[in-house]
Amino acid sequence: MLTRQGIVRLLQDAGVDVVGESEDGEGLLADVGRTKPDVAIVDIRMPPTHTDEGLVAAQRIMTEHPDTGVLVLSHYVEPGYAMRLIEEHPERVGYLLKERVFDVAILVDALRRIVDGETVIDPTIVSRLLGRRRRDDPVESLTDREREVLGLVAEGMSNQGIADRLFVTERTVEAHISAIFHKLGLAESPDQHRRVLAVLTFLRT
Amino acid sequence: MATESVRRANVLWIAAGAAGLACALASLAVALGPGEFTTFAARTPALATLVGLGLFGAGVASAFGSPGRRTGGLFLIAGAIWFAPVWVGWSDGPPVIRALGALAVPFLVPVVVHLVSTYPGGRARTAATRAILGLLYATAALSAAAHALFRDPLRDTNCWDNCTTNPLLVHPSPALVQAMDVMDRWVAAGAGIVLVALCVRRLRTATGPGRRAVWPVAAGGVVVGSMFVAHSVALANGPERPVEPVFRWIYVALAVGMIIVSAAPVLAWVRTRTQQRAVGRIVAELGEAPDVGSVQAALSRVVGDPALTIAYWVPSSSRFVDAQGQAVAEPRERPGGSVTALARDGRTLAVISHAAPTDDVVRELGAAVRLALENERLQAEALSRAEDIRASRARIVETGDAERRRLERDLHDGAQQGVLALSYRLRLAWAAAKADGDDRGAALLADATDQAIGVLAELRGLAHGIFPAILTEAGLGPALATLVDSAPIVVEANVALDDRLPAPVETAAYVVVSEAVDDAASRGATHAEVAAELAGDRLLIRIDDDGAPRGPAMPRSADRVGALGGVVRPEPGMLRVEIPCE
Repeated sequence: MLTRQGIVRLLQDAGVDVVGESEDGEGLLADVGRTKPDVAIVDIRMPPTHTDEGLVAAQRIMTEHPDTGVLVLSHYVEPGYAMRLIEEHPERVGYLLKERVFDVAILVDALRRIVDGETVIDPTIVSRLLGRRRRDDPVESLTDREREVLGLVAEGMSNQGIADRLFVTERTVEAHISAIFHKLGLAESPDQHRRVLAVLTFLRT
Repeated sequence: MATESVRRANVLWIAAGAAGLACALASLAVALGPGEFTTFAARTPALATLVGLGLFGAGVASAFGSPGRRTGGLFLIAGAIWFAPVWVGWSDGPPVIRALGALAVPFLVPVVVHLVSTYPGGRARTAATRAILGLLYATAALSAAAHALFRDPLRDTNCWDNCTTNPLLVHPSPALVQAMDVMDRWVAAGAGIVLVALCVRRLRTATGPGRRAVWPVAAGGVVVGSMFVAHSVALANGPERPVEPVFRWIYVALAVGMIIVSAAPVLAWVRTRTQQRAVGRIVAELGEAPDVGSVQAALSRVVGDPALTIAYWVPSSSRFVDAQGQAVAEPRERPGGSVTALARDGRTLAVISHAAPTDDVVRELGAAVRLALENERLQAEALSRAEDIRASRARIVETGDAERRRLERDLHDGAQQGVLALSYRLRLAWAAAKADGDDRGAALLADATDQAIGVLAELRGLAHGIFPAILTEAGLGPALATLVDSAPIVVEANVALDDRLPAPVETAAYVVVSEAVDDAASRGATHAEVAAELAGDRLLIRIDDDGAPRGPAMPRSADRVGALGGVVRPEPGMLRVEIPCE
């Protein structure tokens, strides 16, 4: 498939070592078992039924090879799929829209974050959830900056990552997050991975 | 039905009954008249006449009632033969009459076995019954012929019943006649045992309405069969001249058995009239707009057969349907049961399946019941047509959905992948241009990439609008969650569904909620609540909103839900939807 070849080429140009390619889920699992890569990039639609084989394969990789991270590429702006992915294994996992990876910098950054143990959720999905209409919306009570921070938290970024992105100190980010969680009525979790799921779940209900 | 031939047949049967009556009266007159009588039949004229009249009456009642003409004929023949001993025992009577009586007497056993074993149909259904009856008739004919041709009463030292000259005698042969007597005894004993066994089995196996129709015949048959055996045994072991009291009791018991047998068609006739009145009364109580299926329920209750069913014939689609309009198989006769076709002007209206042999109440329904039945048939036809249309709608909707799913997949696997691949190539070209220091080219390529990404987003929206893939892949709950994510107003979804539902139901539910939310937004609502739950085998959806009063019903939802046999009920500030999940 053109896209797989395209991605391989982009990655190789960016200096990423591509250790294997597969047509389907079974081949992918065998490859992962053999080559033990840092991250496996999985298309959500794979043979034979082209429905959710990719999600199933991703979950199997996370269960059977916990040292390998998984990045799922999808055409669907479906928060449900992304959440299904991180519900069981909130670490070293990502869900990105396919067109996002045109920017090789974004793709490589996502791979790095996954290797570092972060979660990666596509910004389009996060912005759809943030834009969702709620009754007595507590999100409305956030300042613009706080909303920005909340979005980055939902995208799975670490405090350090958010600080770097916004050109502020990590302390400032921590203060923002504390205020956000207080306004939303969420319990602040020391576990950065769990907090992504907590924020997404909050935004969805 | 051809009423002319029916009338002629009726006249014939009434004539036959009258002839029987004349025969009975003549026998009574002879028996009451002066002279000596040797047989018990002639010595107890009142009993003999009662039994004979009973058999003739049963014959006429059968011919006009449910047992039918064949059984009626057998009753008449049995009645005629019943009087034969009177003529045989008429000491002062003309020898020809006595000889004719003697010819008839041996046939009592086969005719009674025939009558009882085949009641109410009059037709032997199994090969075994046919063989037994054939044997009985053959031996009776043989015995009658042998006695007529070879019995010389004057040379018969044991003669007791008919000892005047035998006018039919060809050649006297006492040895042959004696052998025939022995054969007669064995055959009668055997026939009696078979008859008792048959009747006991019928009493044990028949249930419900079948048992009610058969028990008098079977019970009488047990008595009659036992007396056949008893008579044979008494003849074999008894005194030389069988005028002893034991024969009198056997004769009386036999007479009682025959009366019980004769009561069956009369009881059936009485029961039929009672039931007809009961059905008529129930149907009258149903009024002008009875519930669907009430005629079947009324008939079933009155006849006492819970398995009774009515299948209505729908000529337009050449098939049978039940009262609800659902197609049913053509009713076929089951063992022990019956099917009765009801016709008008030669056209079948309905077929009634019944667990018992044909019941008159079923065959001869009163005018009121027929009218109700005809109404119900029309209603069933209308319902079946509506069901056909619904099924056709469901097929159209399903075909449309399949087509949309295919389109969505084609877009995803074709156009979306293609534009995606194009974007990669543009990106690569951009990188190459940048490496070559071609800033203008790089800027153009960056523009083109952005445009391609815009096209991708549009394609994604288009594909989702055509058919949301998540609905097929993850089900109604996740699909509704996505719908809520991107709804133009605040929507709270409360979906309590654990299992996947049939695809057409999920799609219909999705379309309903989607259309209802859009509709609410267009009426200025700011908030809507969606609740979906499964109640039994029905999916219940309720959508409340705070918008302006609802306009005309939403056509897309009504079409889809209607196609599945569900309903969309708009109420003030609320929409209720019920979809059956079969």
